Amino acid sequence: MRLTEVLLLATLLFSIGLYGVLTRRHAVALLLSIELMANAANVVFVAFATLRGGPGEALVLFALVVTVSEVAVGLALVMLLYRRHGDTVLDLAREARH
Amino acid sequence: MNSPVLLGEVALGAPALAALLLVVFPWARRRRAPAAGLTIASSLVAAAAAAKLVIDRTGGAPDVRVTIPWLPAQGHTLAEVGLQLDGVSVVMLLVVTVVALCVQVFSLEYMRDETARSYGRYFAYHALFLFSMNLLVLAPNLLQLFAGWELVGVTSYLLIGFYFARPSAARAAVKAFWMTKLADMGFLFALLVLFASTGSFDWTVAASPQVATAVTALLFIAVVGKSAQFPLHVWLPDAMEGPTPVSALLHAATMVAAGVYMLVRADPLFARAPATRDLMLWVGAGTAAFAALLALVQTDIKRVLAYSTCSQLGLMVAAIGAGSAFAGFFHLGTHAFFKALLFLAAGSVIHAVHSNELGAMGGLRRRMPLTSAVFVVGALSLSGVPGFAGFASKDLVLASVEGKAGWVPWVLLMASAFLTALYMGRVLVKAFLGPPSEAAAHAHEPGFSMTGPLVLLAVPAVFAGLLGGWLARSLGADYHLHLGLTPVVASAAAVLGLGAAVFVFGGAGRRVPWAAALEYFDRGAFVDRGWESLYRQVLLRVSGWARWVDRYLVDGVINALGWGTLEVGTTVRPLQTGRTRDYVFAVMVGALVLAWLGGWR
Repeated sequence: MRLTEVLLLATLLFSIGLYGVLTRRHAVALLLSIELMANAANVVFVAFATLRGGPGEALVLFALVVTVSEVAVGLALVMLLYRRHGDTVLDLAREARH
Repeated sequence: MNSPVLLGEVALGAPALAALLLVVFPWARRRRAPAAGLTIASSLVAAAAAAKLVIDRTGGAPDVRVTIPWLPAQGHTLAEVGLQLDGVSVVMLLVVTVVALCVQVFSLEYMRDETARSYGRYFAYHALFLFSMNLLVLAPNLLQLFAGWELVGVTSYLLIGFYFARPSAARAAVKAFWMTKLADMGFLFALLVLFASTGSFDWTVAASPQVATAVTALLFIAVVGKSAQFPLHVWLPDAMEGPTPVSALLHAATMVAAGVYMLVRADPLFARAPATRDLMLWVGAGTAAFAALLALVQTDIKRVLAYSTCSQLGLMVAAIGAGSAFAGFFHLGTHAFFKALLFLAAGSVIHAVHSNELGAMGGLRRRMPLTSAVFVVGALSLSGVPGFAGFASKDLVLASVEGKAGWVPWVLLMASAFLTALYMGRVLVKAFLGPPSEAAAHAHEPGFSMTGPLVLLAVPAVFAGLLGGWLARSLGADYHLHLGLTPVVASAAAVLGLGAAVFVFGGAGRRVPWAAALEYFDRGAFVDRGWESLYRQVLLRVSGWARWVDRYLVDGVINALGWGTLEVGTTVRPLQTGRTRDYVFAVMVGALVLAWLGGWR
């Protein structure tokens, strides 16, 4: 029973994150939304590890490291975006279109 | 013991080596002595090898044929090259090398006024020519013969255009090249047809009558071009733009005779194609009479001899067409000697009076007795006066057409024999008899290197006819002297022609009564114009169509493909919006689709 509720929570988190990715225009908000989606996955790992056993918690630690790296790169990109366009609206970065 | 093969290789290799050295080492080519010395030495070696081969054959040496595979393909051989040393080829080899040697020695002095560079280039071309001609003569099959054939065509082009700074010479060279190349298409197609239907390039192959007729007809087209038969003869008189010794060697004695030589070689093939032989008989006889007529009104001594060459080649072609390859070959041999002699003697005259025009000559017999004497010998031999070489072979040619095709070719050839005596008499009267002209008064005999070859060539021009019996035995042909209608009429035609010449052309400015019509025809150059309009009307028009097809069909498809690609790209490009959200959306949709396909229903 508790597993289902936790999984629903994870799905909710993931959907919110996805919604944010699809609708936010600012790069920082986008990164936050991606964090939400990643954490939804972490929740699923923890839930299965706690209730069913297995190496899920180790994987969560691993995923956290990866996420931190990803955010570091993402924030660096945001910095570059700001320097180039004076704003962090992602739609400004359309040079590769043609 | 393959000594004949070695001799054949020497005859082929010596001029090739000389040509190669002169091409590779410019310092030798740009000096006089090395170029001339190397070329003449190589010709001497080749002539000696040829002489040894002929002597060995007289001693009963058998035919030799060696080949090596040239184009191996999947276990069998597509084509072979090699040497064929039989009666026909060794005699031809001797004729070619001896005449070439005489001409090269003659050129030593004749070309002395050229710059050292031109002098060396001249001899380098000669070495290349001799190699090409020997390659052709010793060929064991039609393919190698074709290779030699094309090579002599190239050297002919180079030597006609030797004075390339002169526009008329450059034009004549290109004209000769294109006219013969047009005809050589026939040779190429003949090779293709022969190989496609029999799988061989040999002239002894047992081809069916249809194949033989097609192949020989195509080969004959090539002969018409190379041996200057009507209507492709127009290049030969223009080829006289080359140096006179070149005219003697290439455009009288040997190269133009290559066509006739090929007819002799390929005779087994022609024997299966009576229709082609009939055509040859008519074309040869017609050319003989037609060219002899035109020779009557030429004012340039070399052009007289050029038309004479057309005419004599016509005689040979007619004889072979009549089925007597031996008569054609015999006449080829004697003609090579006396025509080379006539050309070199004419060169000696031109060297002395600095003009080709008959009008500038006259009374040369006093100032140039030796040249006059050998020219008379050559003229008598060419006219076919009994006792000279030309009589023996011409008689054989005339006898071979006796009674053929309702006597018409016989009458044509008799007429050409009479006309030959008439135009040679005209040259003798105008150039050597009569009062000396202004230029002729200061003329003098050339040095030994020019007179030597003249004397040397005068010997076979008189006595080569005696070799008929020996040659026939060597070739395994039937030859016997006969008394009958033909020799009597031929002798009469020769003597009457010469006598008539003295009578008709005796005074200044005298000419034959029908000269006006001939001159009109000659000046009008109707045959030339015919080819030119053919070129304009047919070739250029077809080229125009080809250009349209190329530009609008071939290029059109390519251009349409390129245009279409661009259009598709432009249409699809808006899909790439550059907005991150759109891409993420696409990724999500993709992930869902994959999940659905993966069984998450």
